[in-house]
Amino acid sequence: MAIIELRTISFRYGAGTPFEKQALQNISLSVDRGDFIGIIGHTGSGKSTLIRHFNGLLRPDSGQVLVNNEDIWKNPRQIRSVRFQIGLVFQYPETQIFEDTVAQDIAYGPKNMGLDQETINQRVLEALHFVGLDDSYLDRNPFRMSGGEMRRVAIAGVMAMKPAVLVLDEPTAGLDPEGRRNLLKHIEQYRRKTNTAIIMVSHSMEDIAEHVQRVLVLDKGKTAFEGSVPSVFAHADELMQLGLDVPQMTKVLLGLKAKGYSVDTSAVTMDQAEHELLRLFERKDHE
Amino acid sequence: MTRDITVGQFLPGHSLLHRLDPRTKIVLTFVFIIQVFISRSALSLCFLIFLLLFLIACSHVPARKVFRAVRPMIPVIVFTALINIFYVSGDPVFHYSFIRITDQGLFVGFTLLVRLTALIAGCSLITYTTSLNALAAGLEQLLAPLKRFHFPVNELSMTLSITLRFLPTIAEEFDRIIDAQKARGADFSNGNLIKKIHAYFPIILPLFMSSFRRAFELTNAIECRCYQGGNGRTKMNVLKLSRLDVQAIVFFCVAFGVSIAFNLFFPSFF
Repeated sequence: MAIIELRTISFRYGAGTPFEKQALQNISLSVDRGDFIGIIGHTGSGKSTLIRHFNGLLRPDSGQVLVNNEDIWKNPRQIRSVRFQIGLVFQYPETQIFEDTVAQDIAYGPKNMGLDQETINQRVLEALHFVGLDDSYLDRNPFRMSGGEMRRVAIAGVMAMKPAVLVLDEPTAGLDPEGRRNLLKHIEQYRRKTNTAIIMVSHSMEDIAEHVQRVLVLDKGKTAFEGSVPSVFAHADELMQLGLDVPQMTKVLLGLKAKGYSVDTSAVTMDQAEHELLRLFERKDHE
Repeated sequence: MTRDITVGQFLPGHSLLHRLDPRTKIVLTFVFIIQVFISRSALSLCFLIFLLLFLIACSHVPARKVFRAVRPMIPVIVFTALINIFYVSGDPVFHYSFIRITDQGLFVGFTLLVRLTALIAGCSLITYTTSLNALAAGLEQLLAPLKRFHFPVNELSMTLSITLRFLPTIAEEFDRIIDAQKARGADFSNGNLIKKIHAYFPIILPLFMSSFRRAFELTNAIECRCYQGGNGRTKMNVLKLSRLDVQAIVFFCVAFGVSIAFNLFFPSFF
């Protein structure tokens, strides 16, 4: 059973004004527990608009958003409870930190849920560990930490609400390669440990190839492609036309194929590509 | 991103008022304000209304828009007018214990109603017909003579234009942070006033932080371009007074004179 399901949602900004703009058109998506889903698209393709529909920050003009098979807009007064089930981390989330200590800032979400202090403390610790920070951070001032550390604290602030789905909008933007790898590693571990579904918006095709199971490609507010990672990246030419890219490994393999080598171009990560290339060389040796 | 932010209420156009130099418009707005305050007799008030209607017609701004500018001020206007009714001495037309209403009181209250409405409607015209950048440029030029007295005119206009430039950016940031905190379960609609104010801390603090950060970045960018105050800087769009400006100034002087004349020669109420 899907935890969250979008049924042909459409959304317009500024409906009824001269500035009206169709932002989303007939988007459908179904997410199960433990899924890792990637959303890619050109700037202005509607990614940010789409993720605001997951937790009811925006209300679709048509179509439905179902959480646990229930329309979240059936009772608009209850929309806050949806936000605890669908955690949303925006771009550059460190800009939303406001408390003096890391512990207090992470506790903001759980506190809004009305949990008791003991549960809150427990969740703060848990969340802190999920993002790979230790207990010594609890009483530190977040504003004196590095950008990467602040980013992790901000993500922990959403994890502490124990959502069933965690939506991340470009979680690695502006981090150095080491910080990127580290953060993604912890997100992956968090998913495995808690079986939380992850939806990640990213501009890095490598990150998508490495971690994600399914990809949704948006273009001008419409679904351009949807499916498993290899099946989506098989449309390399079309993706390039949409102003997107494919993983470098896919490019290498596609190039080889164009030169007449018989390689399987569905390999998208470095490991898979290595495997495929070794196989190719071995076959050459045998010939 | 989520809404169209319009700072000010400028309506682009090519009407007579749009084509006037912003400096002329600023000065004439002040003239108009003074005129509103000296119009005391019934006849000069009628003239004022006529003048206002004429200006609205010249501006091509829909009357409905002008009224919209007045609307939020209606409670203040009505309150001021009502208070004045009770505080003017004269022949009582209504008397009950301590409440006295005089005929002069009624007249003063009524004229205040008309004058304040005209005042706000008149001032709204300049904001409808002048872009904020033009207003800032006009203000800078008008204040330029104060440089002699070491008044920091350049800095003032620089500050003003930076503020105007960043208002939409900060409004966007505000929306973004509200969404982020809502995603963490922030609740802005429930609870008493104290609770509601408290709910805004998680918005205001990050907003301040990012504004400071932006300010530091901007300072660096400005210093990197060797900005040292506006001395010797030239303008891309140099303001020039045209024949139209002269005509407008003459027109307002005449109108001002007419108002004074009506006040002097027809001072009676009706």
